[in-house]
Parts: sequence; C-alpha cells; structure tokens
Amino acid sequence: MSKEVFSQISPSEFFYRNRDLAGFSNPTRSLYTSVREFVENALDACDQKKILPDIHLSIKAVDAEKPDPKHYILTVKDNGPGIDPEHIPLAFGTVLYGSKFGLKQARGMFGLGATMAILYGQITTNKPVTVKSCSDGKTLDEFVMLLDIQKNKPVILKHTTKEGSKTGLSVSIVLEGDYSKAGLKVRDYVYQTSLITPYASITFEDPSGEKFHYPRIVKDMPRPPTVIKPHPHGIDVETIRRMITDTHYQIPTIDNKMIDKVKKELGLKKSLSPKEILEKAQKRWSDISKPVRTVISVMSFLNIDFEGLKKIRIDDIDIANKTITYWDFGESQSHAVELDPESPYYKQLASTIQGDTLITFLTKRFQRVGPTTAVKFCEFAKFKPDKRIGSMTNEELVKLADALQKFEEFLAPDPSCLAPLGEAPLSKGIMKFFNPEFAAVWQRNASAYSGFPFVVEMGIAYGGDIPPSGLKVYRFANRIPLLYDEGSDVVLKIVNETEWSRYKIKGDPPLVIVSHICSTRIPYKTVGKENVADRPELERELKNALQYLARKLAVHMSRKGADDMAKKRANLYSKYVPLIAQFATELAGKKKEPNYNQLIRMGSEIEEQV
Amino acid sequence: MRLKNKSSAKTAEERKKRLLSLLEQQGLSIYDNLDKGKFPQFVIPSRSVSNIVYDKKIRQYILGSASAVRSSRNMSQLRSYTQLAWLAFFVNRLVREGKSSTLRDIYYSSQAFSIDFEDQPESDNIIVDLEAVLTSPREEFHIFPEERSSVFGDLTIEYTVPGYEGKRMNLSDHPDGYLIGPSLSSAELVDTSAELVIAIEKGGLFTRFVEEKVHKKFKAIIVDTAGQAPRSTRNLLRRLNTEMGLPVVILADGDVYGEHIAMVIKSGSANAAHLRELTVPDAKWLGVWATDIEKYKLPTIPMTESDIKRIYDLQKDPRYQEGNWKKQLEVFLKIKRKAELEAFSKYGLTNITDKYLPAKLEESKSF
Repeated sequence: MSKEVFSQISPSEFFYRNRDLAGFSNPTRSLYTSVREFVENALDACDQKKILPDIHLSIKAVDAEKPDPKHYILTVKDNGPGIDPEHIPLAFGTVLYGSKFGLKQARGMFGLGATMAILYGQITTNKPVTVKSCSDGKTLDEFVMLLDIQKNKPVILKHTTKEGSKTGLSVSIVLEGDYSKAGLKVRDYVYQTSLITPYASITFEDPSGEKFHYPRIVKDMPRPPTVIKPHPHGIDVETIRRMITDTHYQIPTIDNKMIDKVKKELGLKKSLSPKEILEKAQKRWSDISKPVRTVISVMSFLNIDFEGLKKIRIDDIDIANKTITYWDFGESQSHAVELDPESPYYKQLASTIQGDTLITFLTKRFQRVGPTTAVKFCEFAKFKPDKRIGSMTNEELVKLADALQKFEEFLAPDPSCLAPLGEAPLSKGIMKFFNPEFAAVWQRNASAYSGFPFVVEMGIAYGGDIPPSGLKVYRFANRIPLLYDEGSDVVLKIVNETEWSRYKIKGDPPLVIVSHICSTRIPYKTVGKENVADRPELERELKNALQYLARKLAVHMSRKGADDMAKKRANLYSKYVPLIAQFATELAGKKKEPNYNQLIRMGSEIEEQV
Repeated sequence: MRLKNKSSAKTAEERKKRLLSLLEQQGLSIYDNLDKGKFPQFVIPSRSVSNIVYDKKIRQYILGSASAVRSSRNMSQLRSYTQLAWLAFFVNRLVREGKSSTLRDIYYSSQAFSIDFEDQPESDNIIVDLEAVLTSPREEFHIFPEERSSVFGDLTIEYTVPGYEGKRMNLSDHPDGYLIGPSLSSAELVDTSAELVIAIEKGGLFTRFVEEKVHKKFKAIIVDTAGQAPRSTRNLLRRLNTEMGLPVVILADGDVYGEHIAMVIKSGSANAAHLRELTVPDAKWLGVWATDIEKYKLPTIPMTESDIKRIYDLQKDPRYQEGNWKKQLEVFLKIKRKAELEAFSKYGLTNITDKYLPAKLEESKSF
C-alpha cells in the first residue's frame, strides 16, 4: 500500500470542502447542527455505559451587542464515562476517528459530526476547542487544541491536569452562528430530545440567560443496543467481497518477523531439522495460528528449515494443479514442487488458501443462518455447499449476492441490536409533557427492510394541556428528533392519509402523535437526515401502529362523547321540564304544578335513541 | 236584509270556545304525563309534500294520514317540544285576554320565558305546527301577519274584542274600507243587504269600485285582497259565503298569478293544507281570463320566463286538469302575453265597472 493516495487531500480538508453535506451550510443551520452533534454524542456515551445522562447545554454570545450572525460559545457538558487523556487529541483533533463502526443502533453514525462542528468553529472564528474530561473520577484533563486541516492532526495549545471528582466530558467551541434564527429550532430540539429521552436530565441555557430545564422522568434506562453480524438480505456484492477478503487466506510474507512468530508459537529454543519442526507442530496443531500452519505446511512440502525459508519467496500455491511455485533468491530462478494430495498438510493448505466452505462462511459470518438454512440456500442458489469462497469468480460473487437478497427462508433480522425506548418510558414522557386526558403507546414487534431490522414505537395523546390547534406529529429516529423537511416524511404521509373522522376526530383536535423509528440503518431520503423514506415495510408497520392507537383513541372519544351527552341531557331536561310543567299547569287551568322531578331524572338517564 | 244563517256555521264565540277547549285538553294531557313520570308528546300531522293530497270532495288540499310525533323523550326534540308547549300556553293567554299579536311579536315574546327561538323563521314554523295540531288557523290564535286587506259594503258586524263587546258597525260608513284585522276577524257578522261579494286583487281598483258605487249598482260587498289573499281575508270571504249565504266572485289580473289568486280563494293552498275553513269552494273566477284579453282587445305586456315556468308548474296541479281552469292556462301559454286589470282604462276609467263587470257577471251565471 502506498501513502500518496491519502496525502493528496486530508479528510479535514475534504470535509471543509463538503461542509454543506454535513449540515454546516450557513450560520443558522451550523449552530443548530453543532448543538445536535455534541448533545447526541453525550447521550450516546452515557447510553453505552448505562449512565443516566445529565446534560448541560449552553450558548453564550461572545459580544451580545453585535448583530447576528456573530460569535457564540457553545458548551455541552455530560456525566458520561469521559475519554482517556491519550485518546482526546485524536478523538477531537482528527477527522475519521471514532468508535462507532459496528452494526448497531446509535444516534450518530460514525462520530464525525462533533469533529465537523469543531472544524466549523475553527474556520469561522479561528478559536481553539476546549475539551475537559475525567474518565477515572480522579483526574480532570483539559486540552485546548486546534486542528491542522492540511495534515489532519491536532495541535495542542495547552494541556493541564488537575484533581477531578466525577467522570464526564465537557466540550466548548466558539463558532459563528445566528441564534435569532436558529433559536426556535434549538429549543424545539432540546424539548423533543427530552421527550424521547425521558431518562435524561437536560438543561439548556440560552444566550439571554434563560434556562430550560427538563428533569428526568424515568429512572430506568432502556437496554443498550448490541453489535451484531449482518443479515443476508442487507448485503451487496461489495460487502461480500470485503467479507471474503478478510477471511480469505493471503500467502504469508515470509520474513524474519514471520519466522520469529513461528518459533514463538512452537516454543522453539534451538535450531531443529525440518522433520523435528514438523513433529513439534503436530503436537500443538490446534493451538497455532493459521499463518503459522500455512508456513509449516509449506515447509513440509518443500522439506526445508528456517534458513531455507529465508532464501525463497512463495509465488503461488495452485491447489487445482497441486503445485507450489517459489522463487529461489540464491539461484535466482523459479521452482515448482508437486503437492502430495495424500499428505495431511495438503488439506490444511487447501482449506487455508481457498478459504472456508460456503456453508461455513454463511453460518459464521451472518446472523439468522444455521447449517440447515445454509444447505437450503445453497440448493436455492445452485452452489455446492462445500464450494470454497476463495475460489469464487466475480460472476459467482454477483450470483451469490443476488441469491442472498432473493432467498426468502432467512429469518427476519435479529432485532437485539435495536434499543427502542419502550412503552412505559415513552408513555411516562408523554404524560409528563402533555398532561393529556387520553394517551396510548404501542411498540410494534421488530420487522426488517432489506436486511436491516427496525422497530416502530408510537404514542398518541389527546386533550389536556395540548392546545386545540390541530394534529401535531413529533418524529424521532434512533432517539433523535427530526425537525426539518417534514413535508416529505413517511410518518407524515401515513398520518395525513388517515381518515380521522373515522376515529371521531374532527376539526383542529388537541392531538399529538409521537413516532419513533429505531433501526441499524434509518432509510433517510436525503443526506440532511431529516426525513424518512417510504419503504413499504416501514410504511406498513407505521400504519399498523397508528391504526391501533387511533382505534384506542376512538374508544376514548366515544366514551367521552357518551359522558358529554349524558351531561348535556341532564342540563337540557333540568332546563326544559320545569318550563313545560309551568305551561301545562296554566293551560290545564290547574293551580299546583305537577311533580316532574321523576321525569327530569329519567330524561337524564335514558340512552340516546338513534 | 239577509240575516246570518246560524245553523250552518259557527259563530266567532263558538270558534273561540272550541279553541280554548282544545288548548285545555292539550294542557291536561301534558300535566297528567308529567305527574305520572311519562314523557309528554305532540302528534303533528305531517306537512311534507308526500302527505299533501287534493281532496276532490271538499275541493281543497288536505293533509294525508301521516303524522309525526314530537316527543319530550327525544333529546333532539326537547327544545322544539317546549317551544310548542310554550306557544300553546301563550296562545291560551292571548285568546283569553282578547289580545292580538303578530308573527314578529311571538318571536320576541318567547324571550320573556327563556324560550329562545334562533330566528323568526323558527318561531313561524312552531306556529304552523300548532295550527296543524289544533287544525285552526293562526288568526284564531290572535296571531296576525303584517299584511292587511280591506272590505267595504253594507255589512253590519258586532265586535267581540275587549272594550268593544256588543258594539255594532256598518262597513259602508268609511269610503276607504275597513281593515280586515283582529277585531274584524273576531267580530260576529250580523246582517247585510248585499247579494254578492266581489273580491278584487288590487287596492286601486277597489277604490274605483267604491267611487263608482259598485256596491250599490250590484248590491255587493267589495273586498280588496291586496294580491294573494291573506288567511284572515280568505276566512272572512268564507264566512260571508257560508254564514251570510253570499256568492263570491273574483277579479284578478289577466295572468297566471291572477288565475291562481282566484284558485286559492276557491280551494286553498298547499301551504295551508293542514287548515280548514279558509276556502270558498263555490267562488267564481270572473276574470281577467286569457280569452278575455283578445275578446276585449286589452293592451298587453309579454310574459316573463318565470310567468311561463309558473304556467308549467300549475299544469301539474290536480285542480288545473279540467274545464275553464285548464283552458285558460293553455291560452296564456299560447299567447304568452298578459293584461292587468288597469288595462281596461284604455277604454275609459269606468269601462271595467260599466261594461266588463256586468258582462262577466252575466256570463258567470252559465258556469
């Protein structure tokens, strides 16, 4: 591998040139995006360590007198695990450093956003980022850093250490922003984040000094997401190629380092003959690593010792023609040696060179594929089950990827990697936020689209503190509020397609819908990640959830309607019956009014006749 | 001198008694129900189009057998039930105290009893409901519309309204005629020397008739219907016909509306199908007929679209299916022109009384 490929343009510079994509297109959007990135990182960090999050966000103007856009100090402080001091410069001072590469549900994808925000702040204000971290509960490290954009390297201006008392991380940047325009979105973001993270306590102090505090509503944290293997349906040719390459054997480079490794694994102290080496290897075969086994096998066929090995270069191991080709440095010529198929080392070499069989590959590297399913799949895809994946041609790989997509007998993806909020916390959050007269929540069973598992959870709330200004939808994906581009979102589409009159909802109802989609990959429509595409599987789940909740609401509305009707009846009969009695008494020429109390009672009680 | 025929018609006093008795019965029924814990209800003959039928025997529109129940048990009817009960109560007071009121009055009076009508059409409707329940016109409830028509001629009446009880009046004493109002409507008809009643559509002609002494020349009582005759006027015409035995003839403009004014006096309107004693089945339509327009060479004006549409509408009415009524509609439709009563003035102001009226009266003996 050569290094020129990367040195032509540094990742930092790449992001600097493409900052529009990452949500840093203007001072308004940039301020909002920076808030999001830091808050989400803080929440993710707490989630992973099962720490009930305590997040403090503050935005302060550097010079309050200046008109927007102007410089703001953005600080986000959490009570998470903190970061080891030795990792801090790299984590905050370079792009593409992150730990979120596994396949599981997380708010951010690769942890790049925070660096982007730091970069944006540095570009617009030329001020460094300040990171304070305490990871052991004893020492607090403070770094003041700049990013070297050309070299993708941190420049540490200051590093101090003092006594700390509890773990946590605080990041503070100076950036150009426009709070007068972004303020509404930032407050909405904090409000909605608190709704979907009821186990967090979030405080936001805005530039005017006003504090928005959202206390913790529930003390139980949802189960954290786990990292899992991919599902066959979510795989493309390129991914398979990568997976095969990293299981597939590469002929080990035989150098001094390799020979030392062999010696170490075999526990060799002194020089031995090839025969003695082989005997030693046989005894420990199951304990030694694959490259070492390969080297041993080669030694057996060529019948040479370590000294001999140093003088040659293995060029090819051709299992089909049962030959090993090597270059002898001393003789400066190529040799071919025949392989004995009866040798116990032949099988070892063959399996190493050609990789696992298809069956092993499928069961080992994918979720939801057991031996039985793998055999069925091979029949379906017309591959031999013991076909070696290392021997597959390009055409065969395309055929394999295609078949993996089409085979319908794989179980749905394992949703254990997902971390929905759960019905109880969602319900408590809704009750606390809206104090509604009626609320219901439902978490659907996990489902999948294109091999990516997802779970839909939804809540509905009516009346109470909700203003009667029409239906309001709060959209969340992986516990992130989606605030922009709601017009083209799949959730909005489903809500708008619903005939609300069927559920006894009319006019501008005091109605709130909270929709949360959890997935290892949310199918966003655009790079802005604010609206979710209408995948049929997702649409079906959302529709089912909404219909279920709407039916519950309808039951409530009928009951409420009946109660209202009874009250109305009671009022009407108390008003009119005495009047009727008064008129009838005079008409009939009587002195005393009839006893009509019984009738008022009956009028209030009888069922409405349709 | 023609005296009133007591055996064949009810007097004003009798009608009042009948009404008060009906009201009392309603009151007693409601009272009993309330006392027994039952929901009182009114049975109201249905006035929907499907329940309005033409009765050939009594020669007027009547309501069929369908009826609706307005029950205090039904919450959505409770309000209008109470309104109806209130109206019965209020009418009872009006009639007992000899006071009169107008449709507008009723709308406002209701507010004193926290019976709220949303608008006057709603209270007007409740009045029609009570007419249907009691089969009596609202004039008997002492509720009058704003419109007024007049009567002139040798007819002696005796008032029954409070303060005038027993007082008599001759309706030929004032040349402008007498308003057919609450006191005249409730008065007893005593005697007359007239042998004929001429109902005329227009106030202008009514004055001409008085000036030309038509009442003397033709021994007639002249009634100005002021267009479509109000119910009190129709009721008076009927009483003159039944109580005093006077034949009634009608003069109206020579157009489809004039023809229908005559028809309504003779056999009522669909709107009043729930009522009786508003018709004069033997009344005769003297003119102006479509055929008269040509015969008397009257100046004409062309019909409008709505005139023609009205002809088509009336051709569907069972009463226009035969005889002169049918024939005149057809001629109107053929000539598509119309002539007003004033058209006779082309031949002199007295032409209508000197020439046309005698000729038509003579002709009327044969139909």
